[in-house]
Amino acid sequence: MGLVDRGRMPAPLTKLFNMSRSYSLWVYQWGLACCAIEMGAAFGSPRYDVMRLGVIPLPASPRQADFVCISGTVTDKMAPAIKRLWEQMPEPKYSISMGSCANCGGPYWDSYSVTKGVDQIIPIDVYVPGCPPRPEALLEGVVLLQQRIKNEDMAAKWRGDEYRNNRREYEVDDGGYRTHGVSGDPIPSNVPPREPIVVGGGPIE
Amino acid sequence: MTMLSDRQQLSYIASQAADARLNVELETEGMTLNIGPQHPATHGTLRIICRLDGEQVVWAEPSAGYMHRGYEKLTEVRTFPQVTTLINRIDWLGSFANEVPFILAAEKLMEIEAPPRAQVIRTILFELSRIANVSLFLGDLGVQMGAITPVFLAFRDREYVLNLIEGATGGRFHPNFDRIGGLKDDLPKGWIDETRQVMIKLQQFCDTIEDLLFGNEIFQSRMRGIGIIPADIAKSYGLSGANLRASGIDYDLRRDQELPMAWDKADWRVWTHPDGDSFARCWVRLQETRESCKIVEQLLDQIPAGPIMTKVPRIIKVPEGEAWVATENPLGEMGYYVVSKGDLGPFRVKIRSASFNNISVVPWALKGVYVPDVITILASLYFILGDIDR
Amino acid sequence: MAPLSDDQATEESDTDTLALPGDGLREGIVDDLRERIGDALIDAHISPNDDLWVRVTTDGWKDTGTALKAAGFDHFCFLSAIDWMPSPYGTGEDDPDAEPKEPDTEIVQGVTGGETRLQVFARLTDLDRHVGITIKADVPDDEPLVDTWTESFAGANWHERECHEMFGIGFVGHPDLRNMYLPTDFEGHPLRKDFPLLARMVKPWPGIVDVEPMPEFDEEEKNDDQKEDESTEGESS
Ligand code: SF4
Repeated sequence: MGLVDRGRMPAPLTKLFNMSRSYSLWVYQWGLACCAIEMGAAFGSPRYDVMRLGVIPLPASPRQADFVCISGTVTDKMAPAIKRLWEQMPEPKYSISMGSCANCGGPYWDSYSVTKGVDQIIPIDVYVPGCPPRPEALLEGVVLLQQRIKNEDMAAKWRGDEYRNNRREYEVDDGGYRTHGVSGDPIPSNVPPREPIVVGGGPIE
Repeated sequence: MTMLSDRQQLSYIASQAADARLNVELETEGMTLNIGPQHPATHGTLRIICRLDGEQVVWAEPSAGYMHRGYEKLTEVRTFPQVTTLINRIDWLGSFANEVPFILAAEKLMEIEAPPRAQVIRTILFELSRIANVSLFLGDLGVQMGAITPVFLAFRDREYVLNLIEGATGGRFHPNFDRIGGLKDDLPKGWIDETRQVMIKLQQFCDTIEDLLFGNEIFQSRMRGIGIIPADIAKSYGLSGANLRASGIDYDLRRDQELPMAWDKADWRVWTHPDGDSFARCWVRLQETRESCKIVEQLLDQIPAGPIMTKVPRIIKVPEGEAWVATENPLGEMGYYVVSKGDLGPFRVKIRSASFNNISVVPWALKGVYVPDVITILASLYFILGDIDR
Repeated sequence: MAPLSDDQATEESDTDTLALPGDGLREGIVDDLRERIGDALIDAHISPNDDLWVRVTTDGWKDTGTALKAAGFDHFCFLSAIDWMPSPYGTGEDDPDAEPKEPDTEIVQGVTGGETRLQVFARLTDLDRHVGITIKADVPDDEPLVDTWTESFAGANWHERECHEMFGIGFVGHPDLRNMYLPTDFEGHPLRKDFPLLARMVKPWPGIVDVEPMPEFDEEEKNDDQKEDESTEGESS
């Protein structure tokens, strides 16, 4: 789509693209601990049936996935693998962090081997709190992610005006000048930092 | 050693040959196959490194630690009631069962015992978590061999059990319901009737799985005579639970030790299988699920009236001493060696988890098998990552 | 080719459950062990109707394993270690504002005593007699080395690796003492008591502080509330 990489896109077209993207999300299931079973219940079981939301829980490799659902405890030994798999995913990519462990360390907040929050490694779009979150909570997280995708300006993203949404990705140096936490590029001052979405943090319209 | 069948001998010869090939010059060029750390067959994040010669594994080594969360250290900085929250999450599929041995160990040190009503309810919940755990194993078994249907059935019927656990404890997964001296709450109204119905459904689920999987020819040919673990090997590696009983050893901690629990009030039996192969391990688990259903059904009629909590002090200090309590958890023998110094929290807790021992036999069991069998042997040994790495 | 045994052919098992072990049996086990290993057995402790502990010398550690295996204890349960030094950091549950307490440095070994800071202990089960035994041995302070058990119990392999990693105890004769859990560049031995949990030092456990009262209550209600709080706490703790 030449329009996108030229950085200009008509609004109706954006809307159409976003709509199509948000309803055909292929999810890579990265189940790490107890939460993986609840993720399995949400994605793989007949009762919760995630496909009705347009999410396809099948890709065998991260290279085919649109978003990754990190559920469970991330240990320091596992962290490099997570980063590597995140880098293998093609843009545009999104991520959901499921469970207290992935959000912040959870019950292992004082452990010597657990990474306190997967957002130290990769940027996270939606946080689903709980230990473990119910499958319904994860589905709500998916719905919130879809809303974010629908409101996205793809062209701006392409131009680099809009950076990925994690707060921790922004770093303020002494001069009040922000750099992109991952790539280190300077960020134009008119780009607002995107707030992370937290399930249960507000109503779904 | 007991008499070996021909198939057992063949597999033994194959493993010897693999050994020899490793020692002598490799004839064909070897290849290293890395399974995991993220692989559907590993229930989480186990990584297995296999060295292959053609289609045969000559050397295999599981590499654990991707889920090491440091439980044993963390228990040292928690108080006794806080520890239950933590240890719930070791074997995450049968979480209530994890709490019981620890609570029993603490009660042993304090020299108190839960009232009879609490003991029976504990046992019921213990068996329910076994059903929730093993039913997922039975469903997952199909997936390892390419059959998708069983896992849907398992997830469907497991929900009923989870609903029961949620109804009684408030948590689907990690109930944190057991207290030193009893239970947090009594059963809700109507719970007993509902449990009875669910147990009927679960027994039907077992029948379905038996028809779908265990009678299936593909299943049989991929499981029978594969991955044989003889009894003496099983013992010296410390296998426990169904893995031990599938090697013909008749040992079940529910029956063979005295604990303040209610298993002796029900009429049930311990199943063993003389073969020691993958099929035997799965089959024993299937039978155990049925037995669990029976235990629950019988105990539902026998819940005595009375309190659910004995008198315990407001702030729990466990007297000085050491205690070891193990129970027959869904995965095998799970025990806690609790050392207390009379403080609010334990001084040292050694957690003996079943999967750690069960999976340590993998380097031995995988020697000489063919690549497709790696997955079925792993599946039949049945481990949970949190239980290996703790 | 002989057919594999039939499904239904499981042995009739639970009809003759063996009698549960008594203390007489445990005493017999200790006597038997003393006969087998002689002076290596330092101390034995029987907790009535419950459990059995023995302590052996460091040199006799390996022979004990072999002897017990010959005596019928052939199911390997676990092997680990204990650091008996009280933690210099406390439990992390103390009030951060209060005067820090003088840390307790006295090393007191548990059941069956001991002389050193570190002790290895293992548990074996006799599956026929349904009885278990816990074996302890001192680990020399200056050189934390004991013999390996891998020759008698193959399962000890992983347990010793774990123990080496967590306590820094070496096992002489172990085939492969690689790290098992932690990344290779991890420093320290986490289960030693002097290993600090950094997260706890940076931020003390928030549960120590009492929850602040809700702001919109007036004085009277607040007092009531606090009373209620206390009583419910009593039930739940
Ligand atoms: S958040 Fe809770 S349930 Fe989820 S992985 Fe962590 S401990 Fe397990």
